[in-house]
Amino acid sequence: MKNDASVMNKLFEKLDDLKAIFLYSEKLIPVIQKLIDFMRNTIPLLENINQSITDTANKIPTAANQIDNVTNATEMATTEILDTIDKISVEINSAKLNVEEILHSQNGSVIDDIKEKLNSINFSLDNINQFANNVTLSLQVQDITSQQLAAVNYLIQSVQMRLGSLFNDLESSDLSQITKYTDKNIFNEHARYQDTTQQQKVIDQLVNRNNSPASQDEIDKLFLKK
Amino acid sequence: MNLKFLVVDDSVTMRRIVINSLASLNFKSYVEAVDGNDALIKLEENPDINFVITDWNMPGMTGLDLVKAIRSSEKFNHLAILMVTTRGLKEDIIEALKSGVNNYILKPFTPSVLKEKIDQILNSKNTES
Repeated sequence: MKNDASVMNKLFEKLDDLKAIFLYSEKLIPVIQKLIDFMRNTIPLLENINQSITDTANKIPTAANQIDNVTNATEMATTEILDTIDKISVEINSAKLNVEEILHSQNGSVIDDIKEKLNSINFSLDNINQFANNVTLSLQVQDITSQQLAAVNYLIQSVQMRLGSLFNDLESSDLSQITKYTDKNIFNEHARYQDTTQQQKVIDQLVNRNNSPASQDEIDKLFLKK
Repeated sequence: MNLKFLVVDDSVTMRRIVINSLASLNFKSYVEAVDGNDALIKLEENPDINFVITDWNMPGMTGLDLVKAIRSSEKFNHLAILMVTTRGLKEDIIEALKSGVNNYILKPFTPSVLKEKIDQILNSKNTES
């Protein structure tokens, strides 16, 4: 009988423990529920972050390439400008030499000498004019590099926009502000400063074929020849 | 034939280069426009323009949209159109030709290429008429 009472006491003790656990769990469940809700809300945000990082990572090499293109284009044009300036210097020196010769001429036939030298000076001036035109043409690089830079700006703005939308989710809207968007129509992302002679020939063939029907195969072959 | 050019480009440098090149070829009559919309206004204001040289990439109305607008206009569809652009992809060139450009030059260009294309367009126009 005494044994039975002892067992019952132990049972009641265990039941009290179990009750305490239930009471504790009752308090714990809302906390766990909040934790689950928080994790559930965090998942789209994490996915958004992941997508943004992937997009950003994909765009950065393109941006880097565009900047390389700008460097190459300006370097090529600068070399052309310097080559032309060298040619202009040669012509100016030649013209100066002719003028010096006339000034120091001791010949009796000065008039003939002057005519000959003036013809030579005239020739040099024509060349100088041509070289000056070449300098102007090389300055087309300005238009091409400005398109390349606009393409880089566009990429950077799209990265900024993605990051902005991400920070918007984090309720920090300041970062989503972009004051001026680059119009995608103002640039050609493939713009290059290069010798276009071969490419122009292909275009010429296309233009000529435009007057007579050309198959897609023929057009593709033209571009493969490049 | 007295030629009056409409030079359309958003880049001041490029407009100047095209105009200088035209001057070196003895074409001295021209009007400038900064984009497609401006070009259409200039065409209305200058009915004696008969040759359009246009860039493709421009803010507002692009060169391609300008070509389409000109070709769909009864008033202007007779105009000669030369596109001078950096766009050298096959699909771009085909699209421009389908839209109605008479010839196509890739930048950077030389005055001799410009002359060659102007001559080709004028010759084909003469043959048509």
